[in-house]
Amino acid sequence: MEYPVQSGFRQRKIQPEVRMRGAPVDPGDPRLLFDDTSAGGIGHRQALLSDPVSNLAMVYGSSLASHGREMMDQNLDRFIPISKLKYYFAVDTVYVGKKLGLLVFPYMHDNWEVSYQQDTPVAPRFDINAPDLYIPVMGFITYILVAGLALGTQNRFSPEILGIQASSALVWLIIEVLAVLLSLYLVTVNTDLTTIDLVAFSGYKYVGMIVGVIAGLLFGRMGYHLSLLWCCVSIFVFTIRTLRLKILSEAAAEGRLVRGAKNQLRMYLTMAIAAAQPVFMYWLTFHLVR
Amino acid sequence: MTRKFCCYFLTRSSSPGRLTVLLAMSGFDKLDADFYQSSFSVDDQNQGGGGYSNTDVQYSNPYGQYDYSQPMGYSAAPGIMQPQQPYTGQIFQPTPAFTPASTQSMYSSSFEDEPPLLEELGINFDHIWQKTLTVLHPLKAADGSIMNETDLAGPMVFCLAFGATLLFTGKIQFGYVYGISAIGCLGMYCLLNLMSMTGVSFGCVASVLGYCLLPMIILSSFGVLFSLQGMLGIILTAAIIGWCSFSASKIIISALAMDGQQLLVAYPCALLYGVFALISVF
Repeated sequence: MEYPVQSGFRQRKIQPEVRMRGAPVDPGDPRLLFDDTSAGGIGHRQALLSDPVSNLAMVYGSSLASHGREMMDQNLDRFIPISKLKYYFAVDTVYVGKKLGLLVFPYMHDNWEVSYQQDTPVAPRFDINAPDLYIPVMGFITYILVAGLALGTQNRFSPEILGIQASSALVWLIIEVLAVLLSLYLVTVNTDLTTIDLVAFSGYKYVGMIVGVIAGLLFGRMGYHLSLLWCCVSIFVFTIRTLRLKILSEAAAEGRLVRGAKNQLRMYLTMAIAAAQPVFMYWLTFHLVR
Repeated sequence: MTRKFCCYFLTRSSSPGRLTVLLAMSGFDKLDADFYQSSFSVDDQNQGGGGYSNTDVQYSNPYGQYDYSQPMGYSAAPGIMQPQQPYTGQIFQPTPAFTPASTQSMYSSSFEDEPPLLEELGINFDHIWQKTLTVLHPLKAADGSIMNETDLAGPMVFCLAFGATLLFTGKIQFGYVYGISAIGCLGMYCLLNLMSMTGVSFGCVASVLGYCLLPMIILSSFGVLFSLQGMLGIILTAAIIGWCSFSASKIIISALAMDGQQLLVAYPCALLYGVFALISVF
């Protein structure tokens, strides 16, 4: 069993576990009582060898643990690319503030291009147009909590409701991302939109939903409807302006009129994705405000 | 018998500092706490040693083998063990100090050597108190190194206290408290690993979040006295959530050296403590 070098305080916490496992209560067998629990190298192993069963068990257990951890790391890296995810979380407070402002008021912003640095997109910290995952994740969790709060003020709260809201919102998110992926595939668009980008763009609508529900809690149904309307229009404009650059061809994105069925189809696709956002926003919040 | 006892101590320790202390055999409570692991193992053998005095004759041979093989083992290991070589000659000096009665020597001396229970368990009240003070003074700058030891004893106490104050209001929700704190710690662990340059361990995150639960206990004890659903309750809840998350983010930022992200770390902490507040208010 390995003893990592830590502060003495912590090391003593590790020791008792080894002692309890390695020293069974057996007054008749003296060797077991003198189990060596010091951090010495070879002497330690010699003591363990005196009881082959416990030694075997301990070696097997530690090898199993380290093997399990390696396997988990490898497999986790295959399914969830950790380094790619880290890019989406490289944000700071200034970026988040500006992005939230952009989500609610996208009309004054001019340049929607994502800047690149030698073929790799720049981290969100340095480019406001880059998608990130911090806002969608926090927005999702905040939405669930605000839903719990709204149901609580109507005396319909119980902790199970949080789980129900969370799972239904998650399912709708997955359905939306899959639908967008499917339609992008069918239209055969050559785009560099990754799945994580789509999750990020779909997650931005939670900000509008939260604003609407909080306005509904503070100002009643009229406040809810007005703020939700404002946020729906803003997210519509935001989505169109962002996705236009990614899905449409270069010329059409610059605003020049380009004829052709392909570009028309792509334009319809962009508008469909953008129009789906307000629909989801209303669908997921109307039952929270009475 | 006592010679074997001292050789046993030799095999236990792995640093020269401990050996010198062994030779002194007094005032060891002032020294490095690492020492205590040796004497604790003496206790351990005594717990199974009801028939110790009867069987010590049997100990001589196998223990003798064990004992003589140690110096060879230690000399083979580089570095750490070499300074112990000069001590092998001196190790038998303290034997006269260990003879009250031959059969009872192990038992009584180990009872005297027994370290305090809390220290064996690894609960250090001084550190717990320091960390608590850091939480209670959110405006004071935090020291990044205090969270190096992942101490879960304090957070456990705070979780239990929180559940107990909830119990006073009639809500038996220990399960929810533990479940939400587990899920919240897991979420914060994933988020902090993704957001920071260096990673964190799960124990560190759990420890920090658990300590910063302390103001929430104040909130739920207020909830015993008056209902928190009024305007005053809402203001108090918001203030306490802000306090908890501010001190948690302050400690995490200083421990992980993340710049310009304090509010970003404070927000998920505020969400987590908001869930606790939801439980205590509704």
